[in-house]
Amino acid sequence: MVDRVDYAAGVSFRTIDELDTALREADYLPDRGLATALFLALALEKPVLLEGEAGVGKTEAAKALATALDARLIRLQCYEGLDVSHAVYEWNYPRQLLHIRAAQEGTVSEEELFGSEFLIRRPLLDAIDSDKPVVLLIDEIDRADEEFEAFLLEVLSDFQITIPELGTIRARRKPAVVLTSNRTRELHDALKRRTLFHWIGHPSIEREVEIVKLRVPEISERLAKEAAAFVRGLRALDLAKPPGVAETIDWAQALAALGREEIDAEVVEQTLGSVLKYREDIETVRDETLVGLVEEARASAR
Amino acid sequence: MQGTAIVRHVVTFGRVLREVGIEVGPGRAANAVRGLGAVDLTRQDDVYFTLRQTLVSRHDELELFDRAFVAWFLRGPVTPLVRQTLEPPFPERVAADTLRSGLDQGAGDTGRPQELGASAYELLREKDFAEMTSDEFERVRRLMAAIARTRPRRTSRRRSPDPRGDRLDLRRLLRKSLRTGGEPIEQPWKARKAVPRKLVVLCDVSGSMDAYARALLFYLHAIVGSGPGVEAFAFGTRLTRLTHDLATRDPEAALARANAIAVDWGSGTRIGASLREFNAIYGRRALSRGAVVVVVSDGWERDDPDLVAREMAKLARAAYAVVWVNPLKGNPEYQPLAGGMRAALPFVDRFLPGHNLRSLEELGAVLAGIERRHAA
Repeated sequence: MVDRVDYAAGVSFRTIDELDTALREADYLPDRGLATALFLALALEKPVLLEGEAGVGKTEAAKALATALDARLIRLQCYEGLDVSHAVYEWNYPRQLLHIRAAQEGTVSEEELFGSEFLIRRPLLDAIDSDKPVVLLIDEIDRADEEFEAFLLEVLSDFQITIPELGTIRARRKPAVVLTSNRTRELHDALKRRTLFHWIGHPSIEREVEIVKLRVPEISERLAKEAAAFVRGLRALDLAKPPGVAETIDWAQALAALGREEIDAEVVEQTLGSVLKYREDIETVRDETLVGLVEEARASAR
Repeated sequence: MQGTAIVRHVVTFGRVLREVGIEVGPGRAANAVRGLGAVDLTRQDDVYFTLRQTLVSRHDELELFDRAFVAWFLRGPVTPLVRQTLEPPFPERVAADTLRSGLDQGAGDTGRPQELGASAYELLREKDFAEMTSDEFERVRRLMAAIARTRPRRTSRRRSPDPRGDRLDLRRLLRKSLRTGGEPIEQPWKARKAVPRKLVVLCDVSGSMDAYARALLFYLHAIVGSGPGVEAFAFGTRLTRLTHDLATRDPEAALARANAIAVDWGSGTRIGASLREFNAIYGRRALSRGAVVVVVSDGWERDDPDLVAREMAKLARAAYAVVWVNPLKGNPEYQPLAGGMRAALPFVDRFLPGHNLRSLEELGAVLAGIERRHAA
């Protein structure tokens, strides 16, 4: 069969640098690896699987890609028990029943009852059946159960969905697909074979400072550096949940809102809750550890 | 031509990757070639990421990939390939034993109870793994698959048709009402069904556990083969994930690799540190949440028993239930006096032996019916 599916979007990028620039304009600072992964996903028309610790910016990457492509972002949040009626489509039963009742004596044909006006479109169908370019974000695929993964595999290889009552719906344009996983379980090999794979680690300190300055424009250079350095110090500790970039941004916002120009032990103690989300982690970092980390962060930002 | 040069490079590099243990299928190689056609070949980082993203699909293969990349494309010093250093040559003693037992038994003996004779089977069931000959061990191995089929279950969030269900199945209701003019006369129901609960096994493979670890690894192998949702780890002085090995290779090879990675000979077991590693890396990714966790160990902790207690508390909080299997418990006079064992017990839901086939059957039965005991 001739591949007549159009390229995902109206906007296209000839080089990684072009995509990188567009992502930066969408307020997202990718490292070279991530820019390459997204570029290849577009160039090879393949889904890309982004894995990494929570808070390294996997979901944000998909949002930025949609902005860069001037495409609609359609998000499917996965969870245990997710099934076709929540991911693909469902019939609007109350309306259908009302319709039968309203027809009273007149008979209602099956075609009439299962027409598209009674169809509720869920994210996957929406993405396949869209006129506009789409970035389809399948978020936290590792949380869905394996039956759903197998179904998804089918959708991602054919880009078509069959509804028994209506027939097969084929994508007019192949959506750009981004999958994310926190690795709560290993995904099926068959799914991985069809996707490009990129592991996102924590950013380098320079890049994290850059990200903070971009997201919190009112912050001072010095405070951005100190905050990034402090969070970096936290990541080296033995914590239940080391903070990601998302936490650094939240925290920097809090510090900036308090009108701080630099950090000290007192303000860190007060705002630690926006960086660390577990009580036991906050306890680990109390007192001397905290003072030490603050000193190091201040020294490195000087 | 540049095109053919790329193909040649990718094919050869694919071979290098295969040598370090990364399987590269033809589809992946084709992606790599297409990807390289789209990026700037003079930029080394672009070439690196393009190859990595098209050829590797697992986080734990990244390090192997990096070594291979440095050695092949950067002509760097050939760092010893991990698999070669970590994996000792196939143990000859085991190979010879396996061969011999095959000869002794002949093809007719399938190891099933009725063919062994009832009393012989009873004796075998009760025999301590540590005292078994390789023949007996071979027979026991085959019995394990049957025990491994019993898995803990939980209720799925997904509903399927069930006449005794608790929710109306609207889709079917509508179809049926169509025939009766919109009157829902027949009412189809649906219910949540039971699906296997996640099972995580952490197996101590240090020296003192040698004979039992081997038996339990065969058991683990059978469990991993029983379906999805099973994760296996080995620990000694360190922790290593075994799920992938057990799913793809034979248990002897998996044990050999686990020994090479997780055990420093003569340096004792670090249960607390291994549990900490598990909680930090895998627990954080919710691998243990809602799971039945089975720890197999004799409880001899080299370091600090307090660390064992702390990490067991974390583990018990995340897990649905914790089972501790200690082969020493097979001895009726055994008392859990070892520091690590004493520290762990308050967080354990069920404490079982695991020294012979009968005790593994018991483990299977416990796993099938386990209920959460400790408070959530």
